[in-house]
Amino acid sequence: MATAKRRVQARDARGPQKSKKKLPKVSTGIAGLDLVLDGGLPAGRVTLLSGGPGSGKTIMGLQCLMHAANAGQAGILVLFEERPAAVRQNAWSWGWDLARLENKNKLYLMDARLDPQAVISGEFSINALLAILDQRIKSMRAKLVFIDAVDALLHLYDSPKRERQELYALHEWLLDRRLTAIMTVKTVPQEGVPPQYAFLDFMADCVIHVDQRVTAQITTRRLRVIKYRGSGYGRNEYPFIVNENGINIVPISSNVLQHRPPGHKVSSGQAGLDDVLAGGYKSGTSILIAGTAGAGKTTLACVFTRAACLRDERVLYLNFEESPESLISNMLSPGLALQPLIKTGRLLVRSFLPEAMGVEEHLFYALKELDESQPRHVVVDAISACKRMGSDQAAFEYLMRLLNACKERGITCICINQTSGLDLVEDISGIGISSIIDTIILLRHRLTGGAMSRQLIVMKSRGSKHSDQFHEFRITDRGIDLVKA
Amino acid sequence: MKARKRGSRKHAKPDGQNYVFRLFVAGDESNSSQARGNLARLCEEHIKGRYKIETVDVLKDPSTAYENRVLVTPTLILLKPLPKVTVLGNLNDTKQVLAAFRLTLVEL
Repeated sequence: MATAKRRVQARDARGPQKSKKKLPKVSTGIAGLDLVLDGGLPAGRVTLLSGGPGSGKTIMGLQCLMHAANAGQAGILVLFEERPAAVRQNAWSWGWDLARLENKNKLYLMDARLDPQAVISGEFSINALLAILDQRIKSMRAKLVFIDAVDALLHLYDSPKRERQELYALHEWLLDRRLTAIMTVKTVPQEGVPPQYAFLDFMADCVIHVDQRVTAQITTRRLRVIKYRGSGYGRNEYPFIVNENGINIVPISSNVLQHRPPGHKVSSGQAGLDDVLAGGYKSGTSILIAGTAGAGKTTLACVFTRAACLRDERVLYLNFEESPESLISNMLSPGLALQPLIKTGRLLVRSFLPEAMGVEEHLFYALKELDESQPRHVVVDAISACKRMGSDQAAFEYLMRLLNACKERGITCICINQTSGLDLVEDISGIGISSIIDTIILLRHRLTGGAMSRQLIVMKSRGSKHSDQFHEFRITDRGIDLVKA
Repeated sequence: MKARKRGSRKHAKPDGQNYVFRLFVAGDESNSSQARGNLARLCEEHIKGRYKIETVDVLKDPSTAYENRVLVTPTLILLKPLPKVTVLGNLNDTKQVLAAFRLTLVEL
């Protein structure tokens, strides 16, 4: 008693500011999720994970357990629906060897499936489950418990009141033992947590909802933290993907814009265009090349790409229109040899079919490439094709986040946009990203005196002088030639 | 057919231990005590002298509970005669319990 009192006094003397303690957290092992949760799950408390079928609840919980077990913290997985053997087998598809951790006594899969044929006569409680769990926790010194499909247990009770009592009892039991617990509960797609389980949201200290939606035939998974007592958290919906490494979340990195200031000018690869742009593109900015089909957008981007590679600057070319092989062969006609650049590793061409995956998966691979290859410049060919990732909204999300990521890393980003005309500003900048674009170059065809001529104009160039005239240019077998006015 | 008939006659033997129960309780919590009382009364009334009850306290022996996949208390398992039957709860509904143990005929 005396010590406790002294401690309180000492704390008061330190003043209110210093007594502010951060809630202890447990890392989830999912980098993006830790960011969203401002460090991880609340230690010694219960987190509720709700979501529909196939939304990724089990994988998420399993990944937390795996992460803890690999760090030496023992954990228990209580399975109300699945067989342990099936879970082990499923975990293999992410390369997770559960048996190895089980042998080390760092992980335990507890088969808690109920006998579906059991006859119910009168009242009962889950004391046996708790006694078994208690024994296991003590023998393993487990700190983390993942209870999968708690709703399956609740189905045993014939009244919502009993369900609630039993769950509160379980909750108290977990808190008494200072266990960090994750409980999953199934939700009905589009309807959320069934009304009889709504109280769970009030009970748990941290509530995370995951869901899976299909929009325009493309599946996306999303995650949202509904509440987190005593902690800050990211309040948006965060798309996530499940791939061979488990759950991956790409959170919108920060709530403040941390763009690097634009760097020095870099040559566009074409002396005449450099003059028009008063020295070239500014490195670390976003440049939009817009124009009708066949106006020379890809060629202009490749002129820059080649020049940058020859300056020993790495370029990542994200191609949504054609395969690397076809890009290489098409660029031979204007005399741009890309193959040697790829060979030396200066140029990376990555082709993706926009409709092959959802926005977050596209984004995941793009950001991974940014981090792994550390390019100085990125080309996106073409943002108009990004709409095929699902919708205009999907394309907007993809580009906004990719451009943001580039700006944060000081990477120059050249976006190509195919337009149907040159009259509508909306059409030119495409998908509402114009606010983040620093330079816009328009390309167009003109028919004059029985011949076709190509023209370009710089519509906008932030923080830099530029010509306001149309400039005629030609695509030759040695790249692009600007005709002197 | 013949063998089965002989078998059932054997079951009817008044002094044989024909019913084997395993009752899982959690200490002396109310539902567990009720189940104990209910089961004893039921056996005395319907299968007097032909039953055996094994009681497991899950608080003292959680391993046996887990081996038998018992998660709630009280749980009563009828081990013999086969097939095995599991009844959850304090066994307050005598009729239902007897039906589960296929004991209605004996009752008559």
